[in-house]
Amino acid sequence: MSPSSTMYKGKTGQWAFVLHRITGFLVFMFILLHIVDVSTLNSPHIYNSIHKLYGNIFLRLFEVGLLFALLYHALNGLRVVMIDFFPKAIKNEKGVFLFMLSLAGVMTLVGAVYILKPFFTGKV
Amino acid sequence: MASVIKSPQSRDVSPQRRASRQNFETWSWLFMRVSGIILFFLALVHFFIMHILHDVTTTTVAFVAARYQNPLWKIFDWLLLSLGLLHGTNGLRYIMDDYVRSPLKRVLVKSTVYGVSGILFFVGTLTIITFK
Repeated sequence: MSPSSTMYKGKTGQWAFVLHRITGFLVFMFILLHIVDVSTLNSPHIYNSIHKLYGNIFLRLFEVGLLFALLYHALNGLRVVMIDFFPKAIKNEKGVFLFMLSLAGVMTLVGAVYILKPFFTGKV
Repeated sequence: MASVIKSPQSRDVSPQRRASRQNFETWSWLFMRVSGIILFFLALVHFFIMHILHDVTTTTVAFVAARYQNPLWKIFDWLLLSLGLLHGTNGLRYIMDDYVRSPLKRVLVKSTVYGVSGILFFVGTLTIITFK
């Protein structure tokens, strides 16, 4: 296969790909952890204390990071699907990438308010 | 006469094996797109309900018990579990194919990853089924 035949070429495309891979890896690692913590459901005492632990500020910040990774991976994934299935419908790949990245960023900031507020106000 | 440089990933395998591998990769490609679109909704709805509508400290056992009164949430969670694990494991397979080059290491790393994913699929399914 010659290099010119690949879909993923150019500067932004490569950054989109690298970020997609890193966020996908991180989300997957979290899923593995999450399956283990939820598996304590039949030991209510342990399950509830783990969820209390998730309420501390470091794990809340981690939760915000997870939200960004999830949003970016989901939105950029849609962009990849569009490129593969409707190549004509997506003329401005770079613009769509920047739009998805910004949308993920803005939605993360909004989500961060909801995730972090209970820690500071003490109200849930 | 220019010599042909083989792709680093190409190995000397029979045409049948190569064809079946290409067939598998085509299905894998399609699976990633289809499961990705389904997971787009499942994962984002899950995150929105559990982390935005509710706070992480209030999603206790009692909360899950109330939620699981409706069996549709069990199906929702099980779909998220199985599609998420399959999509993630297959994604990790791409990463391992790219970065783990030695055949011995590849066998070891891949069997570990597939083993862990398989065990966690079993654990997660059991958690949903046995919850009271």
